[in-house]
Amino acid sequence: MNCQEVQPRLLDYQRGRLLEPAALEEIRAHLEGCTACAREEAGEQALTKALEERLPQHPAPLALKRSLAAQWPMRSVPRPSWWSLWGRSLVPAFAVAAVLLAVMPLYYQHAILSQGSGPGMVAEAVNDHLRILSSQHPLDIESGGMHQVKPWFEGRLDFAPVVSFLGDQEFPLQGGAVGYFLDRKSAVFIFHRRLHAISLFVFRAGDLPWPARGGEPLGNTEAYTTVARGFNVILWQSGELGYALVSDLDRQELTQLALKLAGAA
Amino acid sequence: MAGDARGASWLLKARKEYSGDSMEHGGEGSRAALGHEALAYADTLYNLARYLTGNQTDAEDLVQDTYTRALQGAAQFTPGTNLKAWLFRILRNTFISHYRRQRHNPTIGGLDTVDPTAQGPTREEWLRDDLELERLRKVVGAEIERALMTLSEEARTVILLDLEGLTEVEVAQIVGCAVGTVKSRLARARAALRLLLKDYAR
Repeated sequence: MNCQEVQPRLLDYQRGRLLEPAALEEIRAHLEGCTACAREEAGEQALTKALEERLPQHPAPLALKRSLAAQWPMRSVPRPSWWSLWGRSLVPAFAVAAVLLAVMPLYYQHAILSQGSGPGMVAEAVNDHLRILSSQHPLDIESGGMHQVKPWFEGRLDFAPVVSFLGDQEFPLQGGAVGYFLDRKSAVFIFHRRLHAISLFVFRAGDLPWPARGGEPLGNTEAYTTVARGFNVILWQSGELGYALVSDLDRQELTQLALKLAGAA
Repeated sequence: MAGDARGASWLLKARKEYSGDSMEHGGEGSRAALGHEALAYADTLYNLARYLTGNQTDAEDLVQDTYTRALQGAAQFTPGTNLKAWLFRILRNTFISHYRRQRHNPTIGGLDTVDPTAQGPTREEWLRDDLELERLRKVVGAEIERALMTLSEEARTVILLDLEGLTEVEVAQIVGCAVGTVKSRLARARAALRLLLKDYAR
């Protein structure tokens, strides 16, 4: 083979695409004896290496991949038989969903509210507190003090939350939010004690399964104190309002805050 | 960006044209399996789209459209053949029919129009120089990308498809020409790229 025959086949030679052993051997022999072709081969190799190792690769953006993945199954449905097939299975599904929608609130009320003597309320208080801890934005209003937080609730609740403690250096008020306590709206106040977050839920007290006994005096009222999932929980009533105080703070310090909140400190 | 506006109008046109039910529908099972496999090539397809269009917005639109067309034409894919090559062909056809003609090509037109012998002496000249080879070995990624982008779209396509490990037969099917044409087009494209890189590295 001469240079004109060898050079067009160099890429095939490098890629291992030359299957005939004779041609392969001829090229190898030519490269050993021809400096020009050897350099050409080295140049081709250097280019391949540069492209393979240094040419920037642009991967598809994640948003595009997600959109493609969503498109594929979605776009495969418009066959005529699709609706009839799915329609048949959707009708019973909708029926079940409708029954569940009707029954679930009743069941929920029965299950949660009728657990008697407080555990349902305690569990709810802990769950609400956990939701606040895990929320990225737990506060609807950042505290500038209770005088800012309390008026903020006006028009957002069907009651006025009565809280006599405004927060102090020991228990600074961080802010407030509107939440739900079981089946009703609640005013949520977040206090802090060192690194501990403390949630206070204030809600209408009527028709709730308050604990019948086990109460301890808290100012003019009685408080029910317990531990659930590692959190201390204090429940009490004052007039028409109910209060639930939850934190991983120790019981004594939490009681101290409860006394302040109940206006007994 | 002007490119975005051009891309958008191109896409609108493409979507209108391909949203019809003209293509045959395949079985749902095979379609789902095909979809799963096809999505694995999103990065590779996007990379080529990026080098063809030169910008992210158009590349995304092009890939999106490629998948839409692939989905609509799923029944035309022969199981057991090269899915990657099939997707590349759809991408390239979409690019050609809806994009390229609206865009002024900044470079030498088709490489096929370039007389191969015209480049001969220059090429040999620099290749004889070991220093030039050394420069090629030191050229950085951004320079390679810049050089590649100044080549014609045909040259970029064959270089990138070759880099993807596709055979000349597969490349010929993708770009719709004879295997011999691919061979010569690739050789010329690589030679042109080496010349450019030599200049960048100087």
